[in-house]
Amino acid sequence: MATMDCKSVLENLSCYIDGDGSAELRKALEEHIARCRRCRVVFDTTGKALKIVLDVEPFEVPLSVSARLYTRLQEVLAGG
Amino acid sequence: MKEDFQSVPAVGEDDLALVTRVLAGDRGAFESLVRRHERRVFRVTMAVAGNREDAEEATQDAFIKVFRHLDQFRKESRFTTWLTSIAVNEALQVRRKRKDSVSFNETRGLDEQIVPHRFEPWREDPEKLFGKQEVRRLVESAIQALPPIYRETFVLRDVEEMSAEEAAEVLGIGVPALKSRLLRARLMLRESLAASFQQPPTLKTRIAHAATDMGTAVAMRLMRAVGK
Repeated sequence: MATMDCKSVLENLSCYIDGDGSAELRKALEEHIARCRRCRVVFDTTGKALKIVLDVEPFEVPLSVSARLYTRLQEVLAGG
Repeated sequence: MKEDFQSVPAVGEDDLALVTRVLAGDRGAFESLVRRHERRVFRVTMAVAGNREDAEEATQDAFIKVFRHLDQFRKESRFTTWLTSIAVNEALQVRRKRKDSVSFNETRGLDEQIVPHRFEPWREDPEKLFGKQEVRRLVESAIQALPPIYRETFVLRDVEEMSAEEAAEVLGIGVPALKSRLLRARLMLRESLAASFQQPPTLKTRIAHAATDMGTAVAMRLMRAVGK
């Protein structure tokens, strides 16, 4: 595969993160980020961002929302 | 009644078994399904509707629809995919209703070229530094700030961890469109979190980065000068 420029490397960021794409593509991406600091930072910090998102488990159901949900469902279930 | 709700044991039983029990008339099994999935449904409706009030309404409507139409669930698909489709549709309905009174452009950002601007590495452990609550707050506001079509794609793929195919099916779009939205969503989210999580650059690292980015002899000389 010919040497990739930063723009095409960025377009394939998801392949790298999700682990899909051909072995050839992954190799080309890895070669690029090994020598391009900016792309390396973008790839690395996008991976970090996704890990942080999963770690913090965003958008808990507030207790009051949950309580009102149960109440409404019980009414519906009781009414058939 | 609330106590009954909290005490329904469902651990170890899969969704399909619970669905079968509900269809046989066991309402406790439905309560178990709700408890297991309320968080997913709330997150998805938050992603689509964009605010807590609408998400709450859509969450209630979604579970009522699930209960009333459970016999239409085709067992060859995953229960979570079916449930998530319903949640997305209910939230879209609430969003459309809201759109009549509040104008917002759903396609905002669609053609935007996402170009990264922040190139500093991030601090090692933001959760330790800021505390988990604060990091969660930052993450939630970064997700909420995404344009709706990116937000819903992001939440289905990177929070609910659905496959690209499942998420595309749920959103009623093709897989290539989903992947293109996801890439933009990820880059926008990274950019927005970088504002809080990146290491503050020192003058020395700035010059060093400029040198490697430009690769010019001038910058290399600058760096050597600073190093002295």
